Amino acid sequence: MIRFEEVVKKYGDAVILDQISFEIKEGEFAVLIGPSGCGKTTTLKTINRLIEPEAGRIYVEGKDIMDANPVQLRRKIGYVIQEIGLFPNMTVAQNIAVVPKRLKYSKEEIEQITRDLLDMVNMSYEEYAHKYPSELSGGQQQRIGVLRALAASPPIVLMDEPFGALDPMTRNVLQDEIIRLHKKLKKTIVFVTHDMDEALKLADTIIFMDQGKIVQMAGPDEMLENPASDLIKQFMGKRLSENGVNSLTAADFMKSHPASAYRSDGVKKSTQIMARRQIDTLLIKNEDETYAGSVTIGNIRKFGKQAQTIGEIPVTPNAVSYTKDDAADSFEKLLDSDSDFVVVLHDNDTIAGIVTKTSMARAMADALWGDES
Amino acid sequence: MTFFDLYGQKIITAIGVHFLYVLISVSIGFVVALVLGILLSRVPRMARFVLPLISIFQTIPGVVFIGVLFLYLGMKPVTVITALAIYAMFPILKNTYVGLMEVDASLIEAARGCGMSPLERLFEVELPLAVPSIIGGLRMSTVYTVSWAVLASMIGLGGLGEFIYIGIATNNNALIVAGAVPAAVMAVVLSLLIDLFKRRSVRKAGV
Amino acid sequence: MNTKILLEHLYIVFASVIVSIAAGLPLGVMASLYRPLRKPILWISELLQTVPALALLGLVMLVVGAGKTTVIIGLLLYSLLPIVHNTYLGLETIDQGIKRAARGMGMSRLDRLFSVELPLSFPMIFTGIRIATVTSVGIAVFATSVGGGGLGSIINQGIRTQNMKLILSGTLTLMAMAVIFDGVMALIEKRLNKRVSA
Repeated sequence: MIRFEEVVKKYGDAVILDQISFEIKEGEFAVLIGPSGCGKTTTLKTINRLIEPEAGRIYVEGKDIMDANPVQLRRKIGYVIQEIGLFPNMTVAQNIAVVPKRLKYSKEEIEQITRDLLDMVNMSYEEYAHKYPSELSGGQQQRIGVLRALAASPPIVLMDEPFGALDPMTRNVLQDEIIRLHKKLKKTIVFVTHDMDEALKLADTIIFMDQGKIVQMAGPDEMLENPASDLIKQFMGKRLSENGVNSLTAADFMKSHPASAYRSDGVKKSTQIMARRQIDTLLIKNEDETYAGSVTIGNIRKFGKQAQTIGEIPVTPNAVSYTKDDAADSFEKLLDSDSDFVVVLHDNDTIAGIVTKTSMARAMADALWGDES
Repeated sequence: MTFFDLYGQKIITAIGVHFLYVLISVSIGFVVALVLGILLSRVPRMARFVLPLISIFQTIPGVVFIGVLFLYLGMKPVTVITALAIYAMFPILKNTYVGLMEVDASLIEAARGCGMSPLERLFEVELPLAVPSIIGGLRMSTVYTVSWAVLASMIGLGGLGEFIYIGIATNNNALIVAGAVPAAVMAVVLSLLIDLFKRRSVRKAGV
Repeated sequence: MNTKILLEHLYIVFASVIVSIAAGLPLGVMASLYRPLRKPILWISELLQTVPALALLGLVMLVVGAGKTTVIIGLLLYSLLPIVHNTYLGLETIDQGIKRAARGMGMSRLDRLFSVELPLSFPMIFTGIRIATVTSVGIAVFATSVGGGGLGSIINQGIRTQNMKLILSGTLTLMAMAVIFDGVMALIEKRLNKRVSA
């Protein structure tokens, strides 16, 4: 579908692409990844001739792209960028229609396409089609950016860090949507990112680049198991260490910044904290920040009337681990004790976090399937 | 006989002449400036010395344009219109260029990526986005031109300046007011109208 | 070229710019401090600049009579917009954190204005003064029509007598004056900006 043969791109003396060759098959979701300046974006932009290489050949659907008219070529290749780039002077519908209009689709056809596409991302045509981009949220704008790229049903879609500027929650939702769209529409997608989590989540094939060269091209599993260089290992970072559960510590599994109060804090203030965070137990600290115990809502009810400060209420002892302790120990303590959590302390006895059944499950899921929770 | 019986008809004619000078010269200046501004934005390297040159030209007072052209073209309306049109060009040219250059680079890339030809990009993305800036230039030009059109009377070609000049020369206060107030009102009204138009076009652009 | 006429022109420009600063600065501060005054002040100064210069001078002449005072008042009204507008903008765009810090240190409203806000917005105000100065050089050509003299008299005389040399000498002097003022003041502006941002 897309084939690179010894492609070279230079800016002055700087070699951006150093004789790269690879092939992306039809229907494949290929992710280009690597440190900044590695040439991933340049590679992407050579496919629709926004950048033209000095040497080598690029074939799209078997034809050398240098033989095609660049304008015609780009109309057959969808393009999504990080800055979104919706035309602010056009409505949502007009933005989606940019390419179909140029390919002389009929009005009715264009409207049908717009309806279908908006429908696919659960945005109603009636509500959104005639809005201007400035009236949409960032996530909605990028949805339209993706739809604009898909509008003329191009066989290939290029995406240049499309979700990089979105907040993590929106990014997650859009990643899920793009996976769904890919499964449904079977496009060949070339996607640039610097986020390994994103690459592992989306890719059929990951192409890892560094200094204008391809270091490794492999499926996500293969890359996780056999990273070809230290740099790739670094990019995988946390994930690799989590492969061996034995090496994990309590710190990896805890929820940090649990709600806490000083002994001298008022009872009222403390109950307010508990109400706001919707918890029934509050960690208590001594004035020197060291852990003193925890107070349950039951004890506050029982003794709160006579007490001025939270320190006067009897504390319940809890199971305690230290951050560097083996995670397995904390699990055992958690399962053995009656309490819902194990307190994790730094070496100087200040509070680091708590391990609960939820935080444990989340960390396990993370280790196994990535940050999808 | 009151002042209006005496001058009413003349004032109305003068307003008409004045307005025609403004309308014709701003229209010509607008078209020329728009085209030049677009061409200049295609070769930004040239703009680096063209724009400062324009700023220097702009310091030439309108009197001089009219005066010098008067020497070459004589006492004809075309003298006034040419001079005013040249003067009207500058702000529009500058704002067209700046407006086009300020279009976000990511939008240009998106337009290219969508397979827009350079002309399509210009007419469907760049120019629509530069409209507020271009209209800002148009407003400046119009206000200047109303002001400089007063000078038409300096070479005996009518307009509201006639009343002002004669009024000042003969110390006739009523004549000064009869020329100055309509000229002021014309400038203010035109400027408000263009502002209104700008606000509407901006709202439409959704920017 | 007559030095007296050149000095006359310079005098008109300087005098009017100084009066404009004296009037425009307080107006700009007022527009920033008192919400209800904001719109009328900005609107009136914009309106004044819309009025054709010669018409404005003619109207002022009705009240003050022919002479340099008329020109200076006329130019003052004309120069008001850039100075008022930039003073207002300068004060409005001061970093909220700095404003809050000044308040937190217990500075009074006036103290804050004079020791923090005005000094910080001075580069912006200076830009306004530069625009006003350069515009005034050009508008002062009309001075001769209301008995104020200046370079306009040479140009007008040149046009009347169809003397190209006279027109050119007047115009080129005028252009040089405008370009020099603009250049020198732009240079000062750059240094001011560097100081504030440092």
